[in-house]
Amino acid sequence: MSQPVTPRRATRSSAAYPASPTSPSGSRPKSTPRRQPVPTAAAKEEEGEHERSTVDVLLEALPGRRAQATDLLRLLAPAPALPLLLHGGAATGKTRALLLALRHVRPRPLRVAYAALRSLPSPRALFASLLTQLSPPSSSSASSRLRIPDKPSDFVAALRDALAGLSAQGEAVYLVFDNLEVVRSWDKGGQLLALLLHLYDLLRFPQVVLVYVSSATPDAYYSMTGSIEPNHIYFPDYTVDEVRDILMRVHPKPKLYSSFLSVALKPLFRVTRRVDELVAALEPLFRRYCEPLGDLKAVPDESIKRRLFEHIQPHLAVALNETFSVPTRTSVDECKDRSSGGKARSKSQFGSRDGLPTELEFHMSVSAKYLLLSAFLASRNPATLDAALFDSTGGSDNHRRKRKSSQASMNMKDTMAEEMLLKGPGTFPLERLLAIFQCITSVSEDYLGDVECPDSMMNGSGMTGLMPDVLLQLSTLCNSNFLSKSRSCPLEGSARYRSNIDEDLALKVARSVSFPLSKYIYRR
Amino acid sequence: MVVAVSVPSQAQAVLRGRLCDPAFVHSALRSSSDTNYSKLKYLVASSFSEACNNSVLLLGPRGCGKAAVVDMVLDDLKKEHPDAISVIRLNGMLHNDDNCAMKEIARQLCLEHQLSFSKMASSDDNTEFMIDMLRECGLAHKTILFVLEEFDLFAQGKQRLLYSLLDAMQSLTSQAVVIGVSCRLDADQLLEKRVRSRFSHRKLLFISPSLDDIQRLLEHLLILAKDSGLPAKYITDYNSRLTSIFSDKKFKGCLNYLMDADATTSNILRFLFRAVSYMDMESGFLPIESFLKALSSMQRQPKMDSLQDLSILELYILVCMHRLEDKEQSSYNFTSIMKEYRSIQDAYKTSDKYASTVCFRAFEHLLDRELISFGDNRGRNQALEYRPVKLLISSRELAQSLKLNTTCPAVLQKLFDRERYM
Repeated sequence: MSQPVTPRRATRSSAAYPASPTSPSGSRPKSTPRRQPVPTAAAKEEEGEHERSTVDVLLEALPGRRAQATDLLRLLAPAPALPLLLHGGAATGKTRALLLALRHVRPRPLRVAYAALRSLPSPRALFASLLTQLSPPSSSSASSRLRIPDKPSDFVAALRDALAGLSAQGEAVYLVFDNLEVVRSWDKGGQLLALLLHLYDLLRFPQVVLVYVSSATPDAYYSMTGSIEPNHIYFPDYTVDEVRDILMRVHPKPKLYSSFLSVALKPLFRVTRRVDELVAALEPLFRRYCEPLGDLKAVPDESIKRRLFEHIQPHLAVALNETFSVPTRTSVDECKDRSSGGKARSKSQFGSRDGLPTELEFHMSVSAKYLLLSAFLASRNPATLDAALFDSTGGSDNHRRKRKSSQASMNMKDTMAEEMLLKGPGTFPLERLLAIFQCITSVSEDYLGDVECPDSMMNGSGMTGLMPDVLLQLSTLCNSNFLSKSRSCPLEGSARYRSNIDEDLALKVARSVSFPLSKYIYRR
Repeated sequence: MVVAVSVPSQAQAVLRGRLCDPAFVHSALRSSSDTNYSKLKYLVASSFSEACNNSVLLLGPRGCGKAAVVDMVLDDLKKEHPDAISVIRLNGMLHNDDNCAMKEIARQLCLEHQLSFSKMASSDDNTEFMIDMLRECGLAHKTILFVLEEFDLFAQGKQRLLYSLLDAMQSLTSQAVVIGVSCRLDADQLLEKRVRSRFSHRKLLFISPSLDDIQRLLEHLLILAKDSGLPAKYITDYNSRLTSIFSDKKFKGCLNYLMDADATTSNILRFLFRAVSYMDMESGFLPIESFLKALSSMQRQPKMDSLQDLSILELYILVCMHRLEDKEQSSYNFTSIMKEYRSIQDAYKTSDKYASTVCFRAFEHLLDRELISFGDNRGRNQALEYRPVKLLISSRELAQSLKLNTTCPAVLQKLFDRERYM
């Protein structure tokens, strides 16, 4: 049977069910026009039966979306139709439901022009995309001569011409605008949004049906331009049972997976309800779940289930506190080394505090680490403390500062702590950073002990040899967003920097160079 | 191509076609004699027959049929005098830049008179062309009608287009009528002094339909006439059922509810379109359930729906923000929310204690759903954790959503309520 136009997009959910025959795959051509008109044999089918089977086929592909699918089929066809707005959270299947419904809608649409606004950089690209999809296929060789309009008025005129050419054949043309909410952040986005929502009035073609898909709620689009308000269809998030159905659908080992899901899904569901994030979190967990099983085809009974549950329990606790897991070298080694001492090593990987890994997951040079630590201290501590913390011996001397604080000073310190929470890390000039850097590297020289160094750079005034490197490292750290440059002080005119890392990362870095960071942090 | 279409689908197609056709919807305005339609028609026809210039403004709230009336008048006049009228349409939203508008006028004039239009022409060339065309058409006794929709948007800025148009009409031997359509009732006050002096102060006011008008509109739109191409028995059954529904109390309540919120014609059309789409396809009649279902689908509250879709951790974050607001902290950011969250976890020892990165991801989900937003407009200078945030939902909505959420832990409800009674 002939197919209506299939757009290029491959949704995540379509990648997740490869078995479903109607899901669009990754690299289809952008717009293939209709090959043949609907054969009369198909058209002679009973209408009622046809509609029921259409809905059933659609519901097979869209679990848990019965109401939305029937609404879509009712409201989309036949033309003429008022515009339609599909809204709902992210990863709720709006685009997928719409594209599947457009395949099953009767009568078959002549053309579906799909504009994925998230991947289009500018209004001009949007105009180009729509006009090329609507232009007749015979002139595809001449498409290079198609002048892409810059202004909205030219675009509307060109669109009218293209649609007049198409709608002479008397069938429906669907214009789909996906991710409408990104237009708000474009340059001159407000005008373009008003134009897009007003297209129904401007075009005045009865065969053209406009469909908008947005993850922002409809009240984000109320403006004073008085467009025809579209019909809304709301896509709620999936419930736990629906998510379980979705995940169970294409899994090759259903019994094992269902016992796994009964353990792992509910806790993860309390953290996030988005299907894509759940899938990403569940996959490595399932691999761990199956580890103790010798034979993966076995149907688990109660005792096996209990054993697997005990095995997965600590990993589940870790997974709940991660947003995504980057496989580090230690975890890879652990996978290879499962039989011998796996449990002990996993305990050390879980770390001491709340199951977070304690090692730094990326590599930095030693001078960069020290620079980062000095930046963290410079942002965190007020400048007046520097003299006390970094005295000539390079060590911090806490004994002098222990004083019984009065109530008023304690209140002041509380408000200062509140302010620090609110304002975030402070800025510091470059000189202060370099001063602190020199202090702590001189301290760490004592801690490092003797390090074999073939060149004589570390002898004597060793740290001046590192100065040019420091400035290079500074720009690298700025580019990786560990430091950011703020506005320079208008009086002094020197650049000021601010550190962006949080305390956990700073502690990890300090641990990796064995630097006693906690002695230097100003704590209130 | 013979397609066997059933009677309900045919009826549905007829009804949907009617609802989407503004000419049909507002054709009731044509009927009586003292309407704006007849006044406008008289105006244009007289200016045509007396070979003079004229200008008029049609003002009224949105959805009252102003553009429909203009279209009807133009259709009638085109039928009567096919060659003697050419229409130029401009829209204030698209063409509010004067150069753009001039180009569009020139383009449409070329289209009407089968001349070739050069895109390279400058704005002055286009203006000269328009003036020449006006003169020529005036000499040839052809009237040019300028329809300016969203007229108030043309009145922003310097109003060069309006001035040149109205000035040309006054000084040349031209026959032109300028019809402005606007929803601002004071659109003529926006005109500059020199433009206003050249404008004839004719205004036609449109008003929103009253309840009786709406009732008549409903009958006009939904009752099928005898000659719709459908079986006669079906038509009589359908009409009788529909009239009984119209007098049903539930339907009247439904209609009143709709009109209380928004009494414009476009809202009624949306409602009817949805109801017709929910037509019972087996019997082909419109039961009252389809109207009620259409009303309930138009009554959704998007923020409440979003709140029902949140995970437990996201609800925790919202409750923490609410507590901070109750403590009268004027501004707070993610780090203060985390401090509150940890203090709650330490106090109550719930099972929902999660790491800071996971909480930040939930925070970003809330930002995506636009239930919270940043309180400042500054760019990206600060990290996201330190920018002040604020709640975009009221405490009543939050309270209601906590009650409706079946999986919400009891401690959340307690935390939320404690603030009230403390």
